[in-house]
Amino acid sequence: MKLDAYRRELGGEVRRLVRDPVLLGIVGVTFLLLAIFIVFPLIKVVQNSLWTRGAFEPRYFLEFFQKTYYWRPLVNSLIVGALVSLCGTLVAFIFAYGIARTDIPGKGIFRIIAMMPIVSPPFLIALAAILLLGNHGVITEALHLDWDIYGLSGLVLTETLAYFPIAFMILEGVLSKIDPSIEEAALDMGASKLRTFLTVTLPLAVPGIASAMLLVFIRSLEDFGNPMVIQGRFRVLTVAIYHAAVGRYNLPLGATLAIFMLLPTLMIFVVQKYYVARRSYVTVTGKPSGIGLKTTERRIKIPILVAMLLLTGGILLMYGVVLFGSFTKLWGYDNSLTLANYRYVFAVGGQYIWDTLKIALIATPIGGLLSIMIAYLVVRKRFVGRGAMEFTSMLNFAVPGVVVGIGYVLAFNTPPIQLTGTALIIILVFIFRRMPVGIRDGIAQLQQIDPAIEEASSSLGAGFFRTFTRVTLPLVAPAFLSGLVYIFVRCMTAISAVIFVVSAGWQLLTVALLYEVDQANLAAAAAYGYVIIGIVLSAIVLMRFVVGKLFKGNLTPLGGE
Amino acid sequence: MARGEALGLTLLLVVGLAVVGLGADTLTIYTAFDADQAQVYIEAFEASHPEIDVEWVRLSSGEVYTRLLAEASNPQASLWFGGSNTSHIAAAKAGLLAPYKESLAWQYIAPQFRDPNGLWIGLYVGYIGFVSNTEFLTEAGVDAPTSWQDLLKPEFTGEITIAYAFASGTAYTTLAGMLTAIGSSEPGFDDDDKVYVAAFNEQVGQYNSSGSAAATMVGLGEFGVGCVFSHDIVKKAISKGYPVVMTFPEEGTSYEIGGMALIKDGPQPELAKIFYDWAMSKEAQDLYKDFYRLPLNPEAELAEGSVRATDVNVLPVDLVWYGDNKDTMLDQWSEITGEY
Repeated sequence: MKLDAYRRELGGEVRRLVRDPVLLGIVGVTFLLLAIFIVFPLIKVVQNSLWTRGAFEPRYFLEFFQKTYYWRPLVNSLIVGALVSLCGTLVAFIFAYGIARTDIPGKGIFRIIAMMPIVSPPFLIALAAILLLGNHGVITEALHLDWDIYGLSGLVLTETLAYFPIAFMILEGVLSKIDPSIEEAALDMGASKLRTFLTVTLPLAVPGIASAMLLVFIRSLEDFGNPMVIQGRFRVLTVAIYHAAVGRYNLPLGATLAIFMLLPTLMIFVVQKYYVARRSYVTVTGKPSGIGLKTTERRIKIPILVAMLLLTGGILLMYGVVLFGSFTKLWGYDNSLTLANYRYVFAVGGQYIWDTLKIALIATPIGGLLSIMIAYLVVRKRFVGRGAMEFTSMLNFAVPGVVVGIGYVLAFNTPPIQLTGTALIIILVFIFRRMPVGIRDGIAQLQQIDPAIEEASSSLGAGFFRTFTRVTLPLVAPAFLSGLVYIFVRCMTAISAVIFVVSAGWQLLTVALLYEVDQANLAAAAAYGYVIIGIVLSAIVLMRFVVGKLFKGNLTPLGGE
Repeated sequence: MARGEALGLTLLLVVGLAVVGLGADTLTIYTAFDADQAQVYIEAFEASHPEIDVEWVRLSSGEVYTRLLAEASNPQASLWFGGSNTSHIAAAKAGLLAPYKESLAWQYIAPQFRDPNGLWIGLYVGYIGFVSNTEFLTEAGVDAPTSWQDLLKPEFTGEITIAYAFASGTAYTTLAGMLTAIGSSEPGFDDDDKVYVAAFNEQVGQYNSSGSAAATMVGLGEFGVGCVFSHDIVKKAISKGYPVVMTFPEEGTSYEIGGMALIKDGPQPELAKIFYDWAMSKEAQDLYKDFYRLPLNPEAELAEGSVRATDVNVLPVDLVWYGDNKDTMLDQWSEITGEY
C-alpha cells in the first residue's frame, strides 16, 4: 500500500513539474550545473586514482599503506585537526560564555575580535606567528625562547586562532538560546550555580559543542595556507596533494591522496549533519521565555574576563605585528619605516588587484542568486529529486578545497569542457565553493517567511518566476545582500582551491601573498595581507551602508542580519 | 543623462576599449625569474617593443615543466624565460619545446651553453654556494661550511634550509652537485650518495618551494645555513646588508645554466622569437648586472663583485644526464627524504 501511495505522490510531483515549464526549465538547468561543476570533478578524482593511463591500476592505493611518507601526512592532519578542534572550541567557549552568559563590559568589542580572523586570508596568522615566534621573531628574541614554531605547535596555534570564530558563532547561538526557565528551576530547587552549570547548562549545550568541534575539525583538515607557511617538516595532507599535483604533475598520486582526504571530512560532515544537528536541545523559536540568566558572580566573571583579554591581546598583537611588518624596510634587521612594500604591491601586484576584484565581483552576485534560487526550490517546491539537489549542493561543505582544485584541473583541462587558463574557471570555483553556505543561509531566510504570502501571489495568477522576483526576493533582500558580502569576502581570501587554477592571464592576491611568503619576503607579504584586509573591510562597510539606506529600519521583521 | 545617451556612451566606451585592446599584440610567457626581476626584464622588452604586450606568470622551473606537461594538448604560453636549464632539458626530452637555430645568438654561444638541436639556449650561468648567518655562526661556535661534508656537522642539525628538489632548479642542481662530489662522480645515486642525502635530510629544518628563499631566510636569521646560487646570495642577502657570509665547497660546486626556450605549439611563436632574440642581445643582458648574474653574451657588462669562473672550483656535473633523468632522480630523492 505504501508503495502505491509513494508512486502516486511521485507521479503527482512529475505532473506538477510538467505543467509549469518555467519551473521545469529552472530545475533542469540547476541539476545540470550541479552535475557538471560539483559532481563531475569529484568523479574525475575517483577515476584518476583508480585508473592510471587507461588501465585499472589503483597503484597508489596499495602503496599508500606501505610507504610511511604517503600515510604519515594523513595521520599528521588528523592529529592537528583533533588538537585544533579541542583548543578552538575551548577558546570559542570562553568567548561565547563571556558574551552570552555574563555581564562583562565591552561585549561589542569582544565580538568583533572573535570574528576578525574571518575577514583576513587565513594564513596571515601563520605569517604573524613567524614574525612573533619564528626563530628570529620579536617574542623569541625578547624572551630568549627556544621554541621551534615550525611544525605541530605552529599549526595548532595558527589554526586555533584562525578557526575558533566558527565555533564561536555556533556556541554563542546555543548558549544564548538555552531556555533559562530550566536553569531557574534547578536553582530554585537548591542546586548551586556550579551544579546547575554542570548538570543542566552544559548537557544542553553538548550538541552545540559537538557541532562546533566537528566543524572546526573539518576546517583544520582542509587548511592549506597555514601549513604551506609553517608546517616545517610536519607534513600535512593538503600540502602533499598540492605538491603531488602541481610540483610533480603526478595526478594519480594527487587524486589518491585526495580520496584519503575526502574520507574523514565526508564522515565528519555526515555525523555532524545527520546525527548531532538533529539532537538540538535548545528552543529555536527565537523567543526564550524570559531574559537569559547572566552570571554576575565575580569569581566566575573575572577569570573569564581575564582569559578573554589575554586572547584578545594575542589576536591584536598578531594583526599588529603584521601591520608593522608591512611598513618595515628589512624585517627583523632594519626596522626603519617605509612605504616601499606597498609601492611594490601596487606596482607588481596592481594587475592582481584588478584581476581579483573583477573575478570576485562577477562571481559574487551570480553565486548569490544561484544560491537563493536553489534554496527557494528546496524550501518551497516539491519536485522529483529535491533531496538529491539539496544533498549535492551541500556536498561542497565536506569537500576540501584542494580536492575541488585538483578535481577542476582533472575535469576541465581537456575537452569536452576545456577551461584552464580562463577567468571562467576561477569564477566557477568561487561560485560553487561558496554555494553551500549561501544555500543554507537562503533556506534559513526563506523559512522565516510565511508561505501564505507567496501562495496569495500564485493564487492571483502569478507564475513561479513572477512570484519569486516580485514577492520573495524583496522580502529576503536585506539578509540576501548581507550574504553577498560574505561570498565576496570568501572570494577575496580563498586559496586552497584556486591555487590550482590560476594562470598567466589571471592571478589572485592570495596566491601572490603566498608567493611572497615562499620567497621569505615577509614585509611584502604583510603589505599584500593588509591590502586584502582593506578591500574586504571597505566592502563590508559599504554593504552595511547600502543595506541601511535601502531598507531603513526594515531589517528586523524577517530575521535581521 | 537620458537613457539613450548613456547607452550610446557605453557602446562607444566598449568599442573604444576593444580597439585599443586589439591594437597591441599579446605574448604569453612563463618565467622562472623572481617576480621583481622578471618585471624589470619584461618591462625593458616592452619599452623597446611597444607594439607587444607581455602577459607573464612566475613559476619555479620545476613548476613550469609540470605546467607544460599539463597543457601539452593546448599550450597557453609561447616562451619559457629563465630557470635552471635542467628543467629545459627534461622538457626537451618530453617533446615540449620548439627548436630555434636561426637565432643570431646560436652562432656565438659556446656549445656547452646551448642544446645541440636548438631546443634551448643559455641566458646566464651561476654557481651553487653556501650562505651562512654570521650571528648564528658565532653563537654556535662553528665556521662557515667549506665542503659538502661540512654540511653534516652536528651544529647545523635543523639549521639548514633549501628548496624541495622537485620544485626548484636551485635545489635539483645542488643535488646533482652532491651526487657528483660524494662517492663516485658517475651520475646517479651510488651507495655513498644515498647515505649522504639521508644524513643531509636530517640536517634540513625546512624545505621551501622557491630556490632563492633560503638566502633571505638565512639573512633574516630564521635558519643558519642555506644552499643557493651565488647570484641570489649576493642579490638577496649580501647586497641588502644582512649579516651573512658566502662560501663554496672546496671539492668543487655545481652550476646552472639559466635557460630559455620556445614552447612547442605555443599560441604566439613569432612574437616569442622576437623576445628570444632580444633576451640574448647585449641590451637585455646588460640588465643582469643589477642582479649579479653572469651573462652568456660575451659583449655584456659584468657586475662589481660578481663571482667569476676562476674564483670557484667547479665539479664535472653531467647536466645533460641529470636533465634527461630528472624524474627517476626525483623519485629516488623522495624515497630517501620522504618528501614529495
